[in-house]
Amino acid sequence: MAFNLASLAEKFNPEGKAGKVLLVLNAAGMLFAAASNTFAAAADKNTSAEDKKFLVPAGIFTGVVNIALYYKMTQKIIDRLKDVANKQVQNLSNEELLQKATQVAKAKINKAEKGIFNTGLFKKSADMVQSMKDTLLTKEGIATPFAIEEFSKKIPEGASVMGAFIGAVIGCSIITPIVRDISAYFVQRKMEKRNPDFKELPHKPYFDPAHIESRRYGNIRRQPLSMKNYMAFTNNKLKV
Amino acid sequence: MKINSVQQQNFKGKILDNAGKFIINHPVETAALAGSSVIAQKIVMSGSEAVIGPVIDLGIGQAITKATKEKDGRTKQSSKIQAIRTFSQSVGGTIVGVVIRAICIGAMTFGCMKAGSKAGEALANVLNPEKLSDTAQKYQYAEKMSAWGKALGGGLATMVMMVTNFIVDAPFINYINKSVTNICSKKPNAQTNQNKENNAKEAK
Repeated sequence: MAFNLASLAEKFNPEGKAGKVLLVLNAAGMLFAAASNTFAAAADKNTSAEDKKFLVPAGIFTGVVNIALYYKMTQKIIDRLKDVANKQVQNLSNEELLQKATQVAKAKINKAEKGIFNTGLFKKSADMVQSMKDTLLTKEGIATPFAIEEFSKKIPEGASVMGAFIGAVIGCSIITPIVRDISAYFVQRKMEKRNPDFKELPHKPYFDPAHIESRRYGNIRRQPLSMKNYMAFTNNKLKV
Repeated sequence: MKINSVQQQNFKGKILDNAGKFIINHPVETAALAGSSVIAQKIVMSGSEAVIGPVIDLGIGQAITKATKEKDGRTKQSSKIQAIRTFSQSVGGTIVGVVIRAICIGAMTFGCMKAGSKAGEALANVLNPEKLSDTAQKYQYAEKMSAWGKALGGGLATMVMMVTNFIVDAPFINYINKSVTNICSKKPNAQTNQNKENNAKEAK
């Protein structure tokens, strides 16, 4: 058991993998949100079995495509930025490396001592500050070998976090609405085929939350899950 | 086609070169980013969504209205409603999400700090296989446990939010949505009322 735990811990050790941790946790959050939306559609008593036959697969498809696109894209951005940062660190001369590592170590100690932006917020205890000084700086005030090694690891890690942020912004603000709208468009067309009397106008196929009047917008979940409020259902996505 | 692919590669190469230069010229900021948790990611992600999302919604509404030469302006109106909804979701989701993440990460980091220092125990061996001392190597120990706390706390927060999404987020987002909708709908009404009053005075 101990051996298994140790090997698991080695495999999932989050040290130095901040970008990857952020990516995986965000994707997990998106997965749970999509799953709960789809489950809500499947469990809704007001939805007919016929409607569920395409609403549920559409929900699963939208979730899978959305998460897969976000994950692949962000992973690529993280890897690229990490590689670039690694190369930049490797290209530094010894003097530059020492200078930059010292700069980072001093900034870190200053932040621990005086808090964020010297405001005193989140400042560390005197013991911790002393431990940081002993670990990161020599008596002459330059970076120790440990601080240099930490610098060489933290720069690529910081770059990977930057990549995770960029991916999250693009994924959440651009990919998600596009995938959601396209998916809703195909659901709409399917609904129109099934029900020729459907009164939605063809030029407003996927962008029509107005059929829920604004004063009733807060009570969407009380409405039966039909095509009339499908868009509101997708737009009412849970945030994780 | 070949020229295009070469141009694309050059373009990508230039972007990456500039990114590399930016990273190495801002070592303090980049190193500080390495300590980020899902809290920072949530703020960045939802903050950008609160700004970009409504613009995209309004843009789509405008584009459809123009493309279809719609006269009743129904789509334009619906895009406004959706923009408010997107903004409310971003703001409400961020506030609740950040609070829950902070609590979970704080609790898990505290737990790891306590558990990692117990020599000989299975969990301590997992979290702290190098057997760093929490007194002699205080800084290294805290960094290690903080990394574990952020990862495990982020995971715990994801689980917790499966519940809080329903019981906290949904009513809170609806409340914000209602408030913002009221604010947005009051202004034009107030203006039109004033205009009516002015017109009435002029008529008299």
